[in-house]
Formats: sequence, C-alpha cells, structure tokens
Amino acid sequence: MFTGVITFLIIFAVIGALLYGRKLVRTEKTDAVFGNPDRAKGGVHWIIVGSSFLLLSWLYFSWDIAKSFYPKSANELCQVGKVTDSLLSLKYLFPIEERQHKSTAIIQRENINIKDKIIEVNNHPVLKSEDKIIFLDLLEKTKFVLPSLTNPNLLEEKNITTINNLTNRIIILTKEFPKNTYPPPLNQEEETKRIEALKKQQGWGTTGEEVPTLPESKKGLKFHTAAIELNEISDIFFEMRNHNPQYLKITEEIKTIANKYKDNLNDNQDLELSWIKDILKLNQRIEYASIFPPKALNQMEQAIRDFDKVQNKEQGNLKFIDAVFFPGGTILSSGPTCSEDGPGRWLPKPSDTFRIFGDLLKPSVGFKYVPMIWYEMMGVNQIVGFILPDWIADLVPGKYPVHSEDGTVKPNFKSKVLNVVTGEFEAFKIPIPYGHIWDSFLRVFMGLMLGIIFGVPLGIFMGLNRFAKGFFDPLVELYRPVPPLAWAPLVITVFGIDNVGKVFLLFMVSFSIMIISARAGASGTQLSKIHAAHSLGASKWQILREVIFPNSLPEILTGVRVAIGMCWGTLVAAEFLAGTTGIGFVENIARKYMQYEVIWITIFVMGMLGLLFDVTIRKIIDKTIPWRGKG
Amino acid sequence: MKKIISALFGMLLVFSLNTSVANAAAKEVRIAFFLEWASPNQEDKVKGAFAKAFGVPVKWTNFATGGEMTEAMMSGDIDISYSQGLTPFVNAVNSKKPITLVDVSILYGMKGTTCVVANSTGISKANASQLEGKKVAVALGTMADYVFKETMRVVGANPAKMTVVDMVPEDSAVALVNGDVAMSCLFGKKSIAKALEAGKLMLSVQEASDNGIAGIDVTSVTNKFLKENPGMVKTFLEITHAANERYKAGKSDFNVIAKDATMDVKSTKEQMASFGFPSTKQQKKEYFGRKGILMTYLDVMGNMFATAENPALKDYSKVVTTKYLP
Repeated sequence: MFTGVITFLIIFAVIGALLYGRKLVRTEKTDAVFGNPDRAKGGVHWIIVGSSFLLLSWLYFSWDIAKSFYPKSANELCQVGKVTDSLLSLKYLFPIEERQHKSTAIIQRENINIKDKIIEVNNHPVLKSEDKIIFLDLLEKTKFVLPSLTNPNLLEEKNITTINNLTNRIIILTKEFPKNTYPPPLNQEEETKRIEALKKQQGWGTTGEEVPTLPESKKGLKFHTAAIELNEISDIFFEMRNHNPQYLKITEEIKTIANKYKDNLNDNQDLELSWIKDILKLNQRIEYASIFPPKALNQMEQAIRDFDKVQNKEQGNLKFIDAVFFPGGTILSSGPTCSEDGPGRWLPKPSDTFRIFGDLLKPSVGFKYVPMIWYEMMGVNQIVGFILPDWIADLVPGKYPVHSEDGTVKPNFKSKVLNVVTGEFEAFKIPIPYGHIWDSFLRVFMGLMLGIIFGVPLGIFMGLNRFAKGFFDPLVELYRPVPPLAWAPLVITVFGIDNVGKVFLLFMVSFSIMIISARAGASGTQLSKIHAAHSLGASKWQILREVIFPNSLPEILTGVRVAIGMCWGTLVAAEFLAGTTGIGFVENIARKYMQYEVIWITIFVMGMLGLLFDVTIRKIIDKTIPWRGKG
Repeated sequence: MKKIISALFGMLLVFSLNTSVANAAAKEVRIAFFLEWASPNQEDKVKGAFAKAFGVPVKWTNFATGGEMTEAMMSGDIDISYSQGLTPFVNAVNSKKPITLVDVSILYGMKGTTCVVANSTGISKANASQLEGKKVAVALGTMADYVFKETMRVVGANPAKMTVVDMVPEDSAVALVNGDVAMSCLFGKKSIAKALEAGKLMLSVQEASDNGIAGIDVTSVTNKFLKENPGMVKTFLEITHAANERYKAGKSDFNVIAKDATMDVKSTKEQMASFGFPSTKQQKKEYFGRKGILMTYLDVMGNMFATAENPALKDYSKVVTTKYLP
C-alpha cells in the first residue's frame, strides 16, 4: 500500500519536474556561453528526476512494485512454479526446451565414449595384448547394449502399458484442468485442515517467509493440485526401467566377464583394475539413463506439450504480470519452498530494507548487541582520564602513599593527582554517541584529521624547502603507490585489534594525499604575489600565513575531498579485519548469514555518510575560498 | 545515439548467450572443494575418475569458506559442494536457498576446530565465566562459531556478555599470541598450532566429544542440478564412497592426495586419521533418521544461527535426502 503511494508520488514528481524544466528553458534568459560554469548552477528539478529514477528502478527491479500492486501474484506464481518443477524431469526427456531427446544425447555421447575407449585400448602402450582383447570384446558388447534398448520390438508389454497409462493420466488432466470444477472438492476433514493451514500462513516477504507456498486462490489451488498429480506421474515414469530380457542378457554377460576378470587380478594390477571399472561404469551409466525406443514416447511427448499449452493459457493475466512486474526472473518452486529467483533475491525490496533498517536503529535491537547509533552516559572523569597522560602524576615531587599499620591508606597530593589523571573521581555525566555508525564515522574522521594535521605542514614544507623535498620525497613516494590494504596483514600483528590499527590504515591513505596536494598548492603559488608581499615588508611567517597558505587552500581542500572518498573505501576492508563494531563489520557478518537486506542497508548508510562528508566539505570550500575559479 | 543502441543490443546479446550457457544441461559438472582438507576422493579427482564416470568434463574450484560455496551455488557457478561445513549449510537453508544435503562427507573431532584460551588470563573451564566482559576472537558463521557457542554452553559462560571479534583463523591465532584476545575459536592445523604457543585448549578433544561437540561436513547440491542430473549426483557419491572404502582398506595413494590438498604427506596422513568418513550404511542408520545424529545437529544449529529475517526451519528433513546414497 505504502509502496504503491510512493510509486505514484515518484511518477508525479518526475512528470512535474520535467514540466518545470521545460518551462524554465523557455522563460529563462541567460547570457552564459557554452563552457561558463554558471550554466551548471541550480537544477533542483533534475536532482528530483535523478533520484526518482534511482528509486523507481530499485522499486521495480526488487519486485516491490509487483508486491504492492499484485500482492497475491507471488503465491499464484509459486503454484505455477510447482507445475513447472514437476514437469521439469519429464520435459527434460523431450526436445521441448532442449534441442534433442535426452535419449538421443546420451546415445550420441556414449557412442563417442565407446569409440574413444576402443581407440585408447588399441593404442595403449602398457596394457598387455591379452587384456586388450578382453577389453575390446567387452566394449564391442557394450555397443550392442544400446540397440537392445532402442529396438521397439523388444519393449516389454508391462512398460508399454505403464507408458500408456501415464499418457492417459496426462491427457485426462489436460482435459479437466481448464474446467471450473477442477480441482475436485476435498472431503470435509481435508478442507478444514487446508483452511486451518492457510490461516497460519504469512504473506509474501513477511519475516522468515519468502514466498508463501500453500495456494491461496482458486487458480493457485488448480495448479497446486495438478502439480501433485504430475509429480506422481513423473515418479512412476522414472521408476520404470527399460530392461528387457535381451538387454539383461547382454549386460549380465558383460558383468560376468568383467567380474571374473576382476577377481583374477592381483593387488598391483591397478591399471587393469581401473580399466575394467571404467567399462563397468560406462555400462552402469547406460543402465540408469532412461533410454527408450525412438517412437515409444511420442504420444507422451504430445500429451505433455498439450498440457503445457493448456496450463500456459490457464495462467491468463498472471503471465502478463510475471513478464512485466517481475523483471529478470520469476518465482521458482524448488523442493519444499518457493523462492524469488532473479534480482528479487539479491536486491531487497525498499519496503523490507527500510523496515529492517528501522529495526536495526532501535537501540535495544541493533546488530550483534551493539546499536547502529545511540548514546550512552559517560562521566567527564573518564574523558579526562583518557586525555591526560598518567605520567603527569609521576612528575609531582614526593612519593605515593604507603599503607599504615592500622591497615588504611592515607591519600596525599601525589596520589590525588594520580586519581585525576586516571579519571578516578566523581563527575557529572554527559551523553556520548556510540554504535556501529558512530564508530565508523569516528575512525574515518580520526584518520582524516591525523592525515591533515601531519600531511599539510609537511607538504607545504616540502613545497618550499629543498632539504625537506629531498629528504622526505623518497620516503613519501615509495609508500604512496602502495595500496593501503597492503598494510592490512601487518596491522593486527603490529597494532593489535583495536581502533589503532584501523585508524592507522586510514591515516596512511589520507596522509599521502594531503602531502601531495599541500605540496602542489604551495609550489603553485604565483610568484608575483610572493614578491608583492615581500616588497611590502612581510616577514617569512606572514608570507607563509597570508600568501602561500591561502593560495594552496583550494588544492588542499580538493585533496581532503579525495581523501574522504579513499578513506571510506579503505574503511570497509579495515573493518573486515578484526571487526567488533562498524559498518564494514556489519556488512561482513550479514554476508556470512546471508542477510541481503542488511548488506544493502550498510551500502546505503555508507553512501549517505560519504555524501554528508562531501556536502560538508563543499560548504567549507564555498565559505573559505570563495575566490576559487575566479582568479 | 545509434552507437549507444547497438552497444546496448550487443551487451544484451552477450548476456543472453551467457545465461544460455549457464543453463545448458550438464555439459560440465562444477564441484567446489577445500584445500588443506584432505579426502580420499581427491585421488579420483586427480586421476580423472569423476570425468570418466560422468562422461562429461569436471571443473573443480577451491573455496576459503563454506559460505562462499553457497554464494557460488546460488549464482549458478557451482553444482556440487563437497565437504561444506554444516554451519554454512544451515545458514543457507535458513535463508531459503534451494540446496539439498545428500551426504555426510567428513566428520572431524575437535582437533580440527577448537577454542584456545590464553595462558596469561589464567582462565580454564573451571572459571570460564571470567571470560565475560573480555574479548574473544571467533570466525563467525563457520563451524568455529558453532564450537564457540557449544563450548561456552558446556563450561557455563554467557557468550552474549563477551565482546566477540570476528577474525579469520590466521589473524585470530596472532591476536591470541599478542594478548589482544582472551580466547580464540578457530580451525586449521597451522592456526591452531600457532594459538597453542600461547594458550591451551578450553576443552580437550575427549571432553568435547563427550559433550557431543563434533564437526560435520556435508555434500550439498543445488536443487536444479538434482532435478536435471540425478544420475550424476549418484555417481559422484558412489565414487566418493568407493574412495572412502579404499582409504579404510589402506589402499589410498597419499602422495596424490597430499599434493592435491597442498600439504605434505605426513600431515595429510595425520589429518585424514583424525577424520571420520561414515559409510552409507552407517549414515542411513545413525545419521538421517528422525532422531539421527545429523538431524539433531541440524535442529540445534538451525536454532542457534536463526535470525529474525532467517528463522530456523520447522522441519529440516525437507532439505536432506538419502535418495542418492549408493
């Protein structure tokens, strides 16, 4: 329902935005020539069209539109799938969806196999000639097995009856199937049972139930009942073996010779043993293949084709829904369950995704006992203890208190300082955010900040000073091309499994980018500006602060934007390493438990966070360097 | 514009060709397996016995985890997974993936998958509840995850109160040696040996098996392949079980197996000696019955790894079959 409304809203939004765009083109007068960046300004309506298009594709390809407009279609398609599934083995025998009869294909293949074996035996360098004679004899005999199976005169009476019976059952089913009276009503007890079971059944896409399997509509029941009948027919057919007396005689002969030969082999005649086994395997393969005379199954094939036509017709508008609203796949019945086969499987529906996202956001649920983003109350003392280094207490003159004879410890000034720096004092509490999203955010932020703090001064220094350039250049250039993940195997050994290692990886990413951009910015400053400052009597520090730094800011900020993108890219991999929290951790675990909705949520969250960072930086760029591109 | 349209059509054409190849009836059988996980049928694999018996070529692909095997089966690149762990199989069927268990391929005791607790923590099974509030490394979603939860149940500690760090066995062993985690639950001969440098087993092999903790690897097949090529599944299991019998009779060629498993002969022999390869008779009698070992495990594990979106199945007998056992 909700999805339906959204779908219409999106369509209206797109139409509205397009109309607005047309109107704008007609009314707006602009003197900007081609190439003027002003021409790219504005255009909110195009943002609406773009995001609507994205959402619409998501709704369509995840089959969410099908779910909201035709909620019953999945259940009906599941019943159709049951029929398809029950016919699969039988259809597979005939050139309905294949090019050849299965018997034809097998005979062709095995004839080639026999021929190859004969050639191989003849040319075998090690086999003894008396063995070769036996093998060739057996292979020649195997050749005669096939005609004994395909000769229509040898087909046994009981098999002919079975085939006819089964064919008749299919024909009757074909006749009955389109009628309104099909399926015949169940008796009272079974009917109540069916209705009871139906009541317990949950809808399509409900937690734990991908596609409900029990038929809910009259049409579904029709297909469901037909599938049961067809499954029975298929089972009976495949239990039947075309082992006529003639065939049995030949194979018996082959088996006796082969077994006798096998018994006479001693332990080290492995080669001969493997040959005789291969020949027996070949025979066994033919034994289990359902090979029948070429025309024996013609009527059955026709019956199946007819039924297929009728059931196709009976599907009616369901076929249209399947084709239009289930792009790239359909509902598949396989074993006890029906499942979505196609993009519906791996592309979760927006409605499910947001529902699960909403669940995950609840602090009491979260993922693996940790909420996505929430807050906890933390004492200021802990923060002070974390920031102040413990050795401050050691610097205070005097000694730490020693316990007295009456078994008490009297604190002195030094121990009180220690209490402060380790955070062991009472203080008010403030809310501190925590959770997967916050942790990831903080890691990226820390890595980026460290990169900027160390990278920018070093970069500017390298741009201005010959020593710095020469000294640091080889170091930076050597490590810069190394992808940050190449450090990953070392991180756990060197930095342990806590945040240090992950932040280090991100720092490595941002550091080199910041150096390069700051250096390029510093060395790209216009000489005339520096000369002008000089002639006005500016000091070195003033030149650096007032001329060089502002001039390299555009480069630096672009560098920050690039670094953010790279940091997010590296973060996921870093959190795969030894995960306890973080978006990357969530994604990795979700993959192991096949929770595709959660995977899409993490991708979505990362996209949004990346966008947030980027928008922030864009705002900073607009604020701090409004002159960019106008110089 | 024309160029764009023709490029699009070209892409469509290539795509449809691709799918038609993927759906073509068994011109090739694609099997998944593990390296460093020796099994007798690897001899047949190297000698090409499978291809000969199927009458079509066989493509073997090695994987790092059973979960990846499931992913490949779902994308249609693998037909049969040999020795997939029961945990990834359960995760797959809980999330309604169309695959079926056809055979119990390997049983392994806690020599192969276990929990090692760091010596420095002074924790043993007597005071295991001290692990609560500490960090433990677990390879989540694998058999090690199952062993972790079962071990904690036996020693009476609450896993929900520990900080679980998801780590692959190699990293997990290093983290234990470095003292980053108090305990690590891991698999693999080399990783466990490394972890034991700084720790000891939480439960001995004997204690684990007394408490019913054991590893089970299974053979799983996509339902599509089962439907289309039931004979080949049967043949696969026949050859595998024949190889197991050959191994039990002491006639396996360890040089070939070791080379294929990328291990040396000595550790291959050791590893295989610690494995169990249940015969078909044993399986039908003890494993697949209503109260059979396998079914009990499936129920326990199914509930253990159930999530809100992928709850446990009511009846796991629908995703297993003995129909193809020789």
